[in-house]
Amino acid sequence: MRQDFFSANNIKYIDYKDIEILSRFLNPSGKIQSRRKSGVTAGNQRTLAQAVKRARFLGLLPFVAK
Amino acid sequence: MSEENEEKELKIYELGYLLPSRLAEEEVGREYGKLKELIANFGGEMVSDEIPKKISLAYTMQKVVANVRERFDTAYFGWIKFAMDPEKVLELKKNLSQNPQLIRFLIFKTVKENTIATKRFVRDTPYRKPFVPRKKEETTAPINKEEIDKEIEAMVATEPVTK
Repeated sequence: MRQDFFSANNIKYIDYKDIEILSRFLNPSGKIQSRRKSGVTAGNQRTLAQAVKRARFLGLLPFVAK
Repeated sequence: MSEENEEKELKIYELGYLLPSRLAEEEVGREYGKLKELIANFGGEMVSDEIPKKISLAYTMQKVVANVRERFDTAYFGWIKFAMDPEKVLELKKNLSQNPQLIRFLIFKTVKENTIATKRFVRDTPYRKPFVPRKKEETTAPINKEEIDKEIEAMVATEPVTK
């Protein structure tokens, strides 16, 4: 069983500004990894997705990476 | 006591915004001051913020101001965290949307605590329990010394013959 990244590193709030962490959960084309791949708990996956979408809107992360 | 009542009504919000990179450093500082002032005017209490920093955008953005379309590849990105009455936030949002200087902005609910994870030890590979071999119960029969001795003697005896 893979451990949840956020609980393993004691991260309570997933911030949209923390691109380093967020980009760990993107595939090369910029899509959000599935839970199966990310190994994150269901709740954290939801907040992660929210954070990625916020970062995309403000141009911190790409919608589509070429 | 009145402070406590007020705090119950207030909710924590964060405003993230993008300012065009054509602005000079001082102008950016001025805009930043204006935004803070604006929030204060709407009864917001500052929690934390960051001075706008120049970033290269992940994709090109467009904005039409006064019938002129402008494209942006770089921008100043800043954010302000504040506590405000939920009804006032809607007004703030309306006000900000009419600000021609902002390329984009985003307001959302957050928490008072610092949400930026401090630099810490990050494991690249997920943690795994170290492999500890299970102790197997010995299934082989206990060694009989005499039998082994006999076998060895037999082998030694037969060896020269084969040669």
